[in-house]
Amino acid sequence: MTRSPVKVLYIDDEENNLLAFKASFRRQYEIYTANSAAEGLKVLENLPIEVIIADQKMPTTTGVEFFKSISTTFPDPVRILLTGYTDISALADAINHGDIYRYITKPWNDLELHNSIKNAHDAYTSKIDLRNKVQELEKTNDELNRFIYSISHELRAPLVSVIGIVNLVKMEGLYHSSGEYWELIESCSNKLDYYIQKTLQYYKNNKDLSEKADINFKKLVDDIIDLYSYTDRDTQFNLNINQPHPFKGDSFRLEVILGNLISNAIKYQKDNETHKVVDISIDVTPFSAEISITDNGLGILNEHLEKIFTQFFKTKNNKGSGLGLFIVKEALNKIDGKISVKSSLNQGTTFKITIPNAG
Amino acid sequence: MPVNVERPFRVMLIDDNIIDLKINSKIIQLSKLFDEIIQCHSAEEALNYFHSHSKEPHTLPNLILLDIQMPEMDGFDFLDIYKSLPEDWKVSCQVAMLSSTLDFGDIQKAEANSYVIKLLKKPLIPTELENLLRSNFSF
Repeated sequence: MTRSPVKVLYIDDEENNLLAFKASFRRQYEIYTANSAAEGLKVLENLPIEVIIADQKMPTTTGVEFFKSISTTFPDPVRILLTGYTDISALADAINHGDIYRYITKPWNDLELHNSIKNAHDAYTSKIDLRNKVQELEKTNDELNRFIYSISHELRAPLVSVIGIVNLVKMEGLYHSSGEYWELIESCSNKLDYYIQKTLQYYKNNKDLSEKADINFKKLVDDIIDLYSYTDRDTQFNLNINQPHPFKGDSFRLEVILGNLISNAIKYQKDNETHKVVDISIDVTPFSAEISITDNGLGILNEHLEKIFTQFFKTKNNKGSGLGLFIVKEALNKIDGKISVKSSLNQGTTFKITIPNAG
Repeated sequence: MPVNVERPFRVMLIDDNIIDLKINSKIIQLSKLFDEIIQCHSAEEALNYFHSHSKEPHTLPNLILLDIQMPEMDGFDFLDIYKSLPEDWKVSCQVAMLSSTLDFGDIQKAEANSYVIKLLKKPLIPTELENLLRSNFSF
């Protein structure tokens, strides 16, 4: 790729310097000159200048004053200040307010100035590249978010219709009319719906923090138990919720965390257990909520404990998707929460969570 | 506040999806929770129904099951117009939303709307509908 030469603007009130500069550099750069700040501004307004070199000592407007004046209108071109005398206060001012890239003393050394312009241009290019990349990335992210969102919705609506039809089949007493086919359709549909819901949860969790709301843990837990226990009425829930203090937090993420953990506690029970129990205790202090969820279910193998929060981790024997606990962990990361787990095989599992109170 | 109603008890389904309209009508028919079902394929059709039946109040619905995502006029747009309908058309009518949405914004918007007694999730479950009727209507 052939690049067009770097566009350099040089502002100096001394005509001789402008001519000398042109003579030295016109082969390497596309040079524009101006003999005052006002003239320089005109050039800037009309051309995409990449590097500006300004003399400090000029009548009416000094180099630093000029750089200051364009700091918001033309922030992109990289600035080099040229001065014949060393004025410390001008230098400090230049660095602090003029966003100067280099400071070069007069008379300049051609090689030094050439290197400075070259480096200045590199700085300019990386600044612009970075900005373009960030814009591109934001756009891609935005599109991806919208894509996942609309796919989840468009996919889910017809799936829910299918589940509705299966319900109708049950109501009309036809569920067992074709062997186990209806049952298979139902279980596939429920599985697909589960994946869609988890995908949505994951996508929503990745978005920025939502507003803090007042959380009533009793109501939240009751709602979640209602939602998940309709498939399994045998489980006994022992609730011990102490909330003497108000709790402010992210209601969506709390619902995701507790929802996944409680539904797991219901799902991973032993088939032959006659007394399925889930204990949920919550203690709210002004600083945090301490939550513990214990079941007497299947338990988790010791060597699996480390991996259960990893995306798509599944074991041979269970029906999980490898998403639930991964999403729990992701959601906790977003709200600075902590989780620990203890489990013994065939005895049960306890998850302990600490979530900071934002109130 | 439960609304006092007399038989026949009528439900209006508003849904652009013909399959869902069919499924939900059938579920309601089998559940025997209503005497009559009015099917509307769009919010516009529902509003037309109100206007053309305003002279016969006994043909107006007691419960509207309103889908959220519909082309042109969606469920929330419908509610905005429904609010401005004459009071005596709505006196024995309640509105519940029926949607497959999992969108937090939709859910919050539905809960915040004073005309919506509940957001029901698709698929429609007869027991949920029955509970809704029990707490919002008295016969």
